Amino acid sequence: MDANPAINESVIHAEVLVLGGGPGGYTAAFRAADLGKQVVLVERYPSLGGVCLNVGCIPSKALLHVAQIIHEVDEFEQHGLNYGKPTFDLDKIRAWKESVTNTLVDGLARLVKQRKITLIQGTGRFTSDHMVEVTTEAGKQNVSFDQAIIAAGSHATQIPVFPNDDPRLWDSTDALALKEIPKKLLIVGGGIIGLEMATVYHALGSEISVVELMDQIIPGCDNDLVTPLFRRIKKQYKNIWLETKVTSIEKDKDGLKVSFEGKSAPESVVFDAVLVAVGRKPNGKLIGAELAGVNVDEIGFIAVDKQQRTNVPHIFAIGDIAGNPMLAHKASHEGKVAAEVAAGHKSAFDALTIPAVAYTDPEVTWMGLTENQAKQQGIEYDKASFPWAASGRSLSLGRKEGLTKILCEKETGRILGAGMVGPNAGELIAEAVLALEMGADAEDIGLTVHPHPMLSETFAFAAEMITGSITDLYIKK
Amino acid sequence: MASLIEIKVPDVGNVADIDVVDVLVKPGDEVKLEQTLAVLETDKASMDLPASAAGKVQEVFIKPGDKVSEGTLIATVLAATEESGAAKQEEAPAQQAPVQQEVATAPVEKAPEPTSQSPVAAPEPLPETPARSEPGKAAHATPAVRLFARELGVDIHKITNGSGRKGRILKDDVKNFVKKVMTEGVAQSGTGIPAMPSVDFSQFGEVEERKLSKIKRLTGQNLSRVWLNLPMVTYHDEVDITEMEAFRNALNAEKSKDDVKITGLIFIIKALIAAVEQFPQFNASLSADGENLILKKYLNIGIAVDTPNGLVVPVLRNVKHKGINELSAELAETSNRARLGKLMPAEMQGGCITISSLGGIGGTAFTPIVNAPEVAILGVTRAKMQPVWNGKEFVPRLMLPLDLTYDHRVIDGVEGAKFMAAIKQYLGDIRRLLL
Repeated sequence: MDANPAINESVIHAEVLVLGGGPGGYTAAFRAADLGKQVVLVERYPSLGGVCLNVGCIPSKALLHVAQIIHEVDEFEQHGLNYGKPTFDLDKIRAWKESVTNTLVDGLARLVKQRKITLIQGTGRFTSDHMVEVTTEAGKQNVSFDQAIIAAGSHATQIPVFPNDDPRLWDSTDALALKEIPKKLLIVGGGIIGLEMATVYHALGSEISVVELMDQIIPGCDNDLVTPLFRRIKKQYKNIWLETKVTSIEKDKDGLKVSFEGKSAPESVVFDAVLVAVGRKPNGKLIGAELAGVNVDEIGFIAVDKQQRTNVPHIFAIGDIAGNPMLAHKASHEGKVAAEVAAGHKSAFDALTIPAVAYTDPEVTWMGLTENQAKQQGIEYDKASFPWAASGRSLSLGRKEGLTKILCEKETGRILGAGMVGPNAGELIAEAVLALEMGADAEDIGLTVHPHPMLSETFAFAAEMITGSITDLYIKK
Repeated sequence: MASLIEIKVPDVGNVADIDVVDVLVKPGDEVKLEQTLAVLETDKASMDLPASAAGKVQEVFIKPGDKVSEGTLIATVLAATEESGAAKQEEAPAQQAPVQQEVATAPVEKAPEPTSQSPVAAPEPLPETPARSEPGKAAHATPAVRLFARELGVDIHKITNGSGRKGRILKDDVKNFVKKVMTEGVAQSGTGIPAMPSVDFSQFGEVEERKLSKIKRLTGQNLSRVWLNLPMVTYHDEVDITEMEAFRNALNAEKSKDDVKITGLIFIIKALIAAVEQFPQFNASLSADGENLILKKYLNIGIAVDTPNGLVVPVLRNVKHKGINELSAELAETSNRARLGKLMPAEMQGGCITISSLGGIGGTAFTPIVNAPEVAILGVTRAKMQPVWNGKEFVPRLMLPLDLTYDHRVIDGVEGAKFMAAIKQYLGDIRRLLL
């Protein structure tokens, strides 16, 4: 980021100041600029793209692709395809991963220039409700603003009693750095981030153990969608301890000695590395929000209305810092809303759902109403679950554990929620989201011609199970 | 076997959004067949909703203030005496999901502008995360249409019936909604007429405020609309009904005590039918754009009936070939039900021309208001014995005053006078009705 201007003794002014250059922040900055606003974007790291692009979504997908190739090759040995045991050049894999993120980061830098956005690299903090002070390498720079969009994101939650200074205790950023392949890796937290990293390191040869506090992996997701993943990784991984928590991690000369407590707690075990993936904390308390009069809650979230406004009308908040779920696609949509409202448009965030995807193997994805929620809220629904064992496409991939589930309103058949598990399931959820947003019902989906033989067909088949017109299965009346 | 019977709103004519005024039963009540379960009120009438089955009320699904339409579930009734069955049914989960109102986020625009350097606490706590719409309650509209509605400031939930497939709200529906609101807004301000000032009458003495019945309120709106939209002329005349009355009295004398007596109104109806057949432009309506006249090949006659709840106009159907006795029986029966508030909305639709009779009370003349989109209304006041000059001398004749109000856009003055003359001829010599 060579665009950093020399420190300006006087104050720089922004019509719209965006604090944070992640997927929410840069989207907001770009949209505001496109709507004719003069924009200053403040980002503390040298490259734009935030966690998602640099140490999150994108690098993890690159590594997961490596893992997928390894798994597929490995699994097809039994079907007559034999490459022998793969060897890894970790440096080359790492370099490839970095080239992917660099391509995207460079692209963003170009987009900033094309839009004539002023980019300041440094850590910004509010000093008043119309001023941000940015600490840069060259000194402090004050930026005054008419309107501001806070997009300062979140950070991995640390557990204070753990030896966080030990290089063998990782967070997700450390895991993505791909410095080494530990023999024995413990993953604390059976959520999406932990399980994605487990997938990568398992493929690269680590012996994986997962410990999760709740009674299922990926808590919050319906159990039937998680079960195929759970069955598969139970065989692949050394241990999956549910309803169990880590009580202590001690430095040991051979590794990190971890003690457990709970339902299936083992004796203390020594691991070569421990990845703590127990969630993320919003950065609301790190930006001087109180000096701008912006309310920040206990955890660090900033409450906003449908137009992304905070309690201070000319200051907006978007993305992780504005509430769960902490997902890039939520942040970018919110970023557009904030930019449009700042430019005087009557935008609002009224999406009906934000889809979730775990890029595990098999992938798990869901959107809209979950069965758990329906039961809690007493919402009646019709449900259909199409087994991928009846999908030719899935079988020809050598996989049969997947399923596609639809929840519909009882009277109208309108789609309320959907979920899939299986290879590439994440690519299928967008259709379900579109169906929900368009107010489609099961009949609409069933009457839409889906290409054969594709995994996307399973969504139509599940819909036909709701309407009773399915022919690819026999369902006794 | 105990059987659970669902009681629904019956076919009440093409009317949606009927108000529930009162609910007279609660779960556990024993109801008899035809017992009134609830009182409903449309813009034209209030009606009792009878139980279509006898038994014990299990669940009641409506409450006063609800809106219902044909097919809405009112209550479930257990049509048997078995207690075990009743207990079992109670465990059945309620059909409805708990009603949740979409809570609008507090408008932050109202938060005070914080002054520099002094952080202020927000006056009201905002929700932790943005309020997301719930899929089950979402409007049936695509994201782009929802955006369009938001830009125009339309609450899309207020658009109840989309014109797209399965009721999807389309962009045009949003536009039409806006148009409707705009035009209604104009009408409410009375096409530029200044609104009536509000007066505090209590400064002059004791007052009591009583809510107008829905029928009165809606009749009032309709009358104002007609008054402002129709150029109306009222034409007055008198007709000699001495012979007609003599014939009517003779007929009634033949009837036994329990028979329906024939009233003068029936002859007026017969005369009106004959006159309308002679002048078809009186059985017509203007098209909404005012470009065409819609002539009707059927003839239904509305009769204004005074009821405790307000004025209603039941419609006698297909009167062309009905005889005096048949019309008498029908009119007696319909008026009776109108007074009891038991008319169905369908029975008040489809009128072609209306008679408003004050004959039983008095008066010499009045100016009735046309029941638009009809084009004419015939007013009747009390007949009176009067001295009439027959060319040689004054003779006592029973004279009936008639008032014909017509929509002058459709009916010319001469046509109005000729129409009245025809009615007079028929009533003056009822043998002409045979012609």
